[in-house]
Amino acid sequence: MARVKLTDVTKQYDDVTAVDEMNLDLKDGEFICLVGPSGCGKSTTLETVAGLTKPTSGTITIGDREVTNLPPKDRGIAMVFQNIALFPHMDVYDNISFGLRLRNFPQDEMDERVDEAARVVRLQGMLDRMPSEMSGGQRQRVAIARAIVRDPDVFLMDEPLANLDAKLRVNMRTELQRLHKQLDTTIIYVTHNQAEAMTMSDRIAVLNKGELQQIAPPLTCYNQPANRFVAGFIGSPSMNFVDATVGDGTLDADGYSVSFDTTAIDGVAEGDAVEFGIRPEDLYLADNSGEAEDPSRTFSVTTDVLEPMGDEIFVYLKPILDTTDDGGMTDFEERQGLLMSVDPATDIREEEDVEVALDRARIHLFDSDTGDAISHGVVADADIEAEAERDGAQAD
Amino acid sequence: MSIDARNHEDAETFDGTGDESGGEPGDDENRSPIQRWADDWIRNPEKAYAVMLVFLGGVLLTTSLFPLYWLFNVAMAPPGQTDIPLIPATIDLSAFVQVFQQVPFARFMFNSLFYAFTVTVFVLLVASLAGYAFGRLEFRGKTPLLFALLVLSFFPPATLFIPLFRAFNQQVPMLGLFTLPVEIYGTPGAVVAPLSAFTMPLAIFILTTFYGQIPDGLEEAARVEGTTRLGALFRVIMPLSAPGVATAGILTFITVYTEFFFSFLMTGNSAAEWAPVVDGVIAFQTQYTVRYDLQAAASLIAIIPVAILVVVAQDKIISGLTQGALKE
Repeated sequence: MARVKLTDVTKQYDDVTAVDEMNLDLKDGEFICLVGPSGCGKSTTLETVAGLTKPTSGTITIGDREVTNLPPKDRGIAMVFQNIALFPHMDVYDNISFGLRLRNFPQDEMDERVDEAARVVRLQGMLDRMPSEMSGGQRQRVAIARAIVRDPDVFLMDEPLANLDAKLRVNMRTELQRLHKQLDTTIIYVTHNQAEAMTMSDRIAVLNKGELQQIAPPLTCYNQPANRFVAGFIGSPSMNFVDATVGDGTLDADGYSVSFDTTAIDGVAEGDAVEFGIRPEDLYLADNSGEAEDPSRTFSVTTDVLEPMGDEIFVYLKPILDTTDDGGMTDFEERQGLLMSVDPATDIREEEDVEVALDRARIHLFDSDTGDAISHGVVADADIEAEAERDGAQAD
Repeated sequence: MSIDARNHEDAETFDGTGDESGGEPGDDENRSPIQRWADDWIRNPEKAYAVMLVFLGGVLLTTSLFPLYWLFNVAMAPPGQTDIPLIPATIDLSAFVQVFQQVPFARFMFNSLFYAFTVTVFVLLVASLAGYAFGRLEFRGKTPLLFALLVLSFFPPATLFIPLFRAFNQQVPMLGLFTLPVEIYGTPGAVVAPLSAFTMPLAIFILTTFYGQIPDGLEEAARVEGTTRLGALFRVIMPLSAPGVATAGILTFITVYTEFFFSFLMTGNSAAEWAPVVDGVIAFQTQYTVRYDLQAAASLIAIIPVAILVVVAQDKIISGLTQGALKE
């Protein structure tokens, strides 16, 4: 059990900066996930903590020891690898006790510890098997037993579940959580699977291009993403992003606009180009807009493709533009389409015009240039809404 | 071709020969057995391959085993007999015992085995370190260095004999600075040192290839578990490269055991002076007599250690040892 601290850690390979001034401060016993797309530097970060890669600059502290220049064996860490990396020429017992033998543990204590570790990962009675005789899940459990048997200060896990099949992955996920509760050790877990990150970790560190984007509890990353990258990376399916312009109390996108109180938000002024983000579950059909916390006025869109998932239907929506010429844009995102999730019982068909509303409280505004979040949720502009209400009443 | 041409006399002749050369199926009876046989082989090439394989195997076995059989025949013949029959007249194994009685042949064999064993251990150790560096590390000048090794292995060892002979006799200063502290000539060192150098490049190449194939994850796992890089090399990488280590080891062992030039010239002629096994075989040749039967018996005995080694090591060369190490 120990605190782990990375200060200004940078790793450069020739002309590529794999990790750029990373600062992380992990509390004792914390389960932290490093997530990000391939090549974002999450594995390199983990390797610098493990000592397998030496950072170009910066310092790493485990507990109250600075370990930047220590070899891996002296850092009090254990690691579980993506490719499992059991020693194929040794049986399970020898694999698990490898680290203990190197540290000259007496035989009886070694036996005791190996038995205990095997019990924790439910591998009793398999100690004399060879890795080649075991299934993927069993091998992964041996790798975990090998890591816990030494009672390390910090666990490092580099996509340990990536090579398992989907069902096993979910099983091992809960087992890892159980293990963390049981051992109460600091765990740094690298994954590109955001479901793993969301479900297991105390905090998520989102990385992109070697830079830390946000480090926060999973729900904070989900509800208050620090920037457009985090907003797009966390959540499946991804958040909708729409280019818009700030008007006089409105957010004007192609084909529709949403009214909001521009004065209530710092950093936006009329005429600003912004990008707004809205998650698929925060879009509502007109009939259901009452479920939203703060529904906007409805606007018309055309449905494109439907994806029935069983528990919900994903509906791709095309905004209705003044001009029929879409400028040759075929990509859904390019056309500023919206993805909406609706109840599976909804009666909805492809290529029909529907009325939808956004939940204003769940609109995220991002700076178009920097991608930084400006605001999470906007509030209605009272004047405009009142006016609209009057218009609506007159029309009726 | 005009219509006239078809009715020409020559046209008839042409049709006739065409029939005989057998382009048509169904007229087997018109053809010779050889033609039918060739036709069968063309249609079923696997038959041809099977016959070729047996033939080639037979030739190879005969050429490699017949000399051994001939040695055995010579050993069976009575002393002085030069007319060796194809099948020995009597089976008399006394020559195999006499070999050890007339000269200290066991000591000669020990000398050669000692050279082979020492050089193999030394070469495997040093080549492992080199193989690790070349196979698993990135460093500047790696390719030129490997290339230099390759060039070294092409170098004819004989050209180095004179300078080495003088250096080992303390006649020339090494690098122009110092002479060797002791005279190495006539000691095992005078054989082990040059032969290690000559067998090293091949061993390095073999081990580089094998060590380079061990997945990084395994080495990293070993290092995280508590080994140094060296520890990971000897505890994980080397055991997993067993086939490669065995290959390099056996090649080195056999090369040194059968080596003649350096081991003959760098040592004395008697067994006590560290003479190699070849000296033991030559020892049956005196100024006046040559005991061909004993030489043949000695040669056969000298083969035994290498033969045993190859048979035993074949079991050790197990490929697929890394199966299950990593999930593919």
